[in-house]
Amino acid sequence: MDGLLIFATSMVTLAAIYGMVCMALNLEAGVGPLWDLGIVGCFGVGGYAYVLLTADPAADYQSYLFGFGLPMWVGAIGAATAAGLAAWLISLPTLRLRKEYFLIVTLAFAEVIRQFYANEEWLTNGVAGIYGLDQPLKQQFAPGDYPYVLMALCLAGLAATWALTRQLSKSPFGRSIKALRENEALAITAGIEPTATSRRLYVTAGAITGFAGMFFVWYNTLIVPGQFDSDFTFFIWAALIIGGIGSQRGALVGAFVFILLHDSLRFVQVSGEMAVALTSLRTALVGLVLILILRFRPDGLFPERPDRMTKGSRHA
Amino acid sequence: MDIIYFGLISASVLLLSSVGFALIVQVEGFLNIAHGQMLLMGGYTGLWLTNIGVPLAPAAVLAAVITGLLGMAMYGLLFRPIKAKGALVMLFTSVGAAYVINGVIGAIAGARMQGYDLPPVRAMLLFGEPFMTRYELAIVIVALLSALGLHLFMSGTRSGKSIRAVADNEALARARGIDPRSTSYLVWFVASALGGLAGVFLGVMGSLTLAMGWQQIILILATTVLGGLGSLYGVMLASFVLAFGIEFGLLAVQPAYRSALAFSIIIIVLLIRPQGLQSLWVRAARTH
Repeated sequence: MDGLLIFATSMVTLAAIYGMVCMALNLEAGVGPLWDLGIVGCFGVGGYAYVLLTADPAADYQSYLFGFGLPMWVGAIGAATAAGLAAWLISLPTLRLRKEYFLIVTLAFAEVIRQFYANEEWLTNGVAGIYGLDQPLKQQFAPGDYPYVLMALCLAGLAATWALTRQLSKSPFGRSIKALRENEALAITAGIEPTATSRRLYVTAGAITGFAGMFFVWYNTLIVPGQFDSDFTFFIWAALIIGGIGSQRGALVGAFVFILLHDSLRFVQVSGEMAVALTSLRTALVGLVLILILRFRPDGLFPERPDRMTKGSRHA
Repeated sequence: MDIIYFGLISASVLLLSSVGFALIVQVEGFLNIAHGQMLLMGGYTGLWLTNIGVPLAPAAVLAAVITGLLGMAMYGLLFRPIKAKGALVMLFTSVGAAYVINGVIGAIAGARMQGYDLPPVRAMLLFGEPFMTRYELAIVIVALLSALGLHLFMSGTRSGKSIRAVADNEALARARGIDPRSTSYLVWFVASALGGLAGVFLGVMGSLTLAMGWQQIILILATTVLGGLGSLYGVMLASFVLAFGIEFGLLAVQPAYRSALAFSIIIIVLLIRPQGLQSLWVRAARTH
């Protein structure tokens, strides 16, 4: 029974992290106009920035730069800043591309970034990665209680992300990106500058994603380039589409449903040979659910609802 | 000289994998992520056929046909019913389909790396210099013939013309008495079969892993974007530009950056030509 509880805690923690990224993606691609297939890029940059700032200096069998051992709050700011900066750099050449081209070029950038971690050993210790990373508040609690603490931290992060993205999508900025999504030509005539607005959106979403990357490092206590391949991007997109793209609740529910589908089978104990087949079938199950949802509920479990400004003004 | 041979071989495989994808983009108007898994399907079906004793050449053809039929089934079951729902829904349905195919093949074949059991061959000699192996030469020839065949098929035959007509303007094509449905089935068969064949070739040249479909779809997307979405000739040119660009680029950077190099090429080309290489000969007017 204890094992089940710990397993559930771990799943909720992971789902909270996915939820943060889902909300950032929702802001970009659901509320806004940017179909970003490179979201894992900023996630990884955030994670690595956090590790390089806060980890202890490299031991002699490792090689990574920095390892300043700085406090965690510096790491948190660093993660969001580095990811925002990366997003800004990526946005410079990409924002003028049309939808499908943007999709593919962002995917390309994410892949280039991943190869960068894997190959630049002086900075990141390469494919071997960096292990044994500290978790916050670890000393203050008994080791048996720590999973709950971590879950609480991630849920707090999720709540903060919820509040932030909700606030942003209701703000004038949120209305301008929605206008760009619906009808770019009309938005331009209303005085919205498409490139500058999209750039601000891309950088904001990138910074939030990078911030979520920090929680992912806490969850795993290690960082390797393999964690940041395009699978993650597709998983987040799948979660968002299952939940309902364009809706906050959809992004939240989608992340939890996705983790439930994808990871609950991990708890089943089977032999080695079976485990391989089971991993594959898990992937197939996710695919099947994605297909079925798109067929029968193409707007997701919680579709986007039309905005109501104030009571009575709908027909004005 | 080696660079030219290697470039030619990788360009051939890239060409074969990408033309099918581009054909579907042209006719159906969405990015079919499951196309990468068609390569996986072809590669593993071919492997299974050779393991039960079918010689390599017929096994390759049979694997291509089986993959083509899978493509048709996928179209009929998954994509045709949701065509009205837009490109994003179709794109992510294809992601779902890719997961299902990948998962089922993985459950059957296992996650271990596998390879075709071929007798080792030495490179043939050309003017006394080592050239390519028999297999590599066959791959290059088959790929070039397929590209030529596709060109003749699209420009010369009635079916090819109806494919182009449906891609350009479905309503008009229907008014002229073309049945878009049978045209689409044909497109999916041809595209998936070419992908399956490319998968067999990849297996012959190297080895088969479950991740192959995902790795290849990234290169296919790169090639297609470089060529200009949906342009068949753009894609044909792009696979050569990309393959040779990579081989020459590797003189300057380490091999680990292979696909990063491919993407840098694309990013640079798109900065200059946001519509891809096709915009060299197509006016910008045609957008969708």
